[in-house]
Amino acid sequence: MSNNVWQCITCGFIYSENEGLPEEGIPSGTKWLDVPDDWCCPDCGMDKSDFEMLLINE
Amino acid sequence: MSLPCIIIGASHAAVQLSFNLRQQGWQHDIIIIGNESHMPYQKPPLSKSIMSQQKSLEEILLKKDEFYQDANIRLMLNTNVTEIDRSTKTIKLANGEVLAYSKLALCTGAIANKISLSDKPLLGVHYLRTAEDAAKIQNQLTHAKNAVIIGGGFIGLELAAAFNQRGVHVTILEAQENILQRVVTSEVAQFISSLHQQHGVEIKNCCIAKRLTGDSYVSAVVCESGESIPADLIIIGIGITPVTTLATKANLDVDNGILINQFAVTSDPNIVAAGDCCSYFHSIYQRNVRVESIQNALDQAKSAAASIMGKEIDFSHNIPRFWSDQYDIKLQMCGLIDGYDNVEVINPQDYGQLSVLYRKDNKLIAAVIINNPLMMKQAISAIANQEAFIH
Ligand SMILES: Cc1cc2nc3c(=O)[nH]c(=O)nc-3n(C[C@H](O)[C@H](O)[C@H](O)COP(=O)(O)OP(=O)(O)OC[C@H]3O[C@@H](n4cnc5c(N)ncnc54)[C@H](O)[C@@H]3O)c2cc1C
Repeated sequence: MSNNVWQCITCGFIYSENEGLPEEGIPSGTKWLDVPDDWCCPDCGMDKSDFEMLLINE
Repeated sequence: MSLPCIIIGASHAAVQLSFNLRQQGWQHDIIIIGNESHMPYQKPPLSKSIMSQQKSLEEILLKKDEFYQDANIRLMLNTNVTEIDRSTKTIKLANGEVLAYSKLALCTGAIANKISLSDKPLLGVHYLRTAEDAAKIQNQLTHAKNAVIIGGGFIGLELAAAFNQRGVHVTILEAQENILQRVVTSEVAQFISSLHQQHGVEIKNCCIAKRLTGDSYVSAVVCESGESIPADLIIIGIGITPVTTLATKANLDVDNGILINQFAVTSDPNIVAAGDCCSYFHSIYQRNVRVESIQNALDQAKSAAASIMGKEIDFSHNIPRFWSDQYDIKLQMCGLIDGYDNVEVINPQDYGQLSVLYRKDNKLIAAVIINNPLMMKQAISAIANQEAFIH
């Protein structure tokens, strides 16, 4: 199964859909599309729109 | 009438704190007071995309004006806070005005360390901490030919890369044996040094700038060795000092930064603090630390907002993280590089990647990773879970 992984272009932070970000209230398995629009990168504060997708097959 | 939450400082920590406070349901006024004249902006691009002219100040604002209006957050810019009176729960502004608070947040950040290398002030000598500093450097860059950067830290190196890309000859003077000595080890320093040298930047290690010469404009740097290096632009990047004056005057606990607990509360329960101005006890590294990074400012701001709302978010186990862009590389760091007993260097065949892993008692405690964000992610979880990180 493939896991969609997204990367912040500014700081390199990685969001993995399989893992989510439980510490920020985003449960594991949350698709990128379902991450709230006002969510910001925890490492640099940039908006969700500043991420791009890396596809990693597992 | 309910009194506002007042936030002093109008940068990364302050803005994050204010919006978090609203999201969590703070009903009363929120006032952010900052002494810079610009709308709050991101600092990292000042030495990156702003210097390389890929972005303008407008494009690096933290939030557009209407966001503050919609969230009913009042911004008082160009305003210096001069005093905190904890007994009356008031603050004083430079114009004498007194404002009362119910909760106060200190997000006063840090300022660039200064040195004086000439008898009289010379034009062409700059520090970089604010948008105003960046604008002055930009102005001069259009006719600069030879830049000398005093101090081989991250900001100096990022500027070196940006100047080099704009056709300016750059010399970096580093007092220690290696650039970045305060933050990383020689494996990383060598990688970054050769990257700069390949682009034509000169790096002089063990070189101490003694004096600047020139009439009104700087014309050269004289080193302790006696060598004179011609320069029409000087950047001094020798670290920062946390801004703790208000806190010290108000008798809050201060120790290499405003001391906060794991919930970002100072020694006064009505005052929180966040960002570069703070120090705290790190629960994984078991010592007091002061971290200078965006992630740290954001994490502490989130905890501070929660504390104001009577909730508890412990940030003290979060792994410090930082990034730096130079030329086409992205360097990422996590953890604190001290007290390690083992260093592993991973230098894959494909040019441009390097990972250096630092372990203690067979557990990963820090990593510097160049051009490999996925490995960075794995390293952060390994440190948090106290694992060795065998890959
Ligand atoms: C050029 C540059 C590049 C950087 N690059 C990176 C990077 O790549 N990655 C990274 O993680 N970090 C980077 N940093 C560090 C990062 O910008 C800081 O960690 C961050 O700005 C800290 O935010 P802060 O809100 O705590 O403090 P600051 O950004 O320092 O803001 C504090 C504000 O408070 C104001 N203030 C202070 N005292 C008063 C007072 N009495 N009254 C009113 N206002 C007051 C100050 O003027 C300032 O505007 C960089 C910093 C610089 C300067």
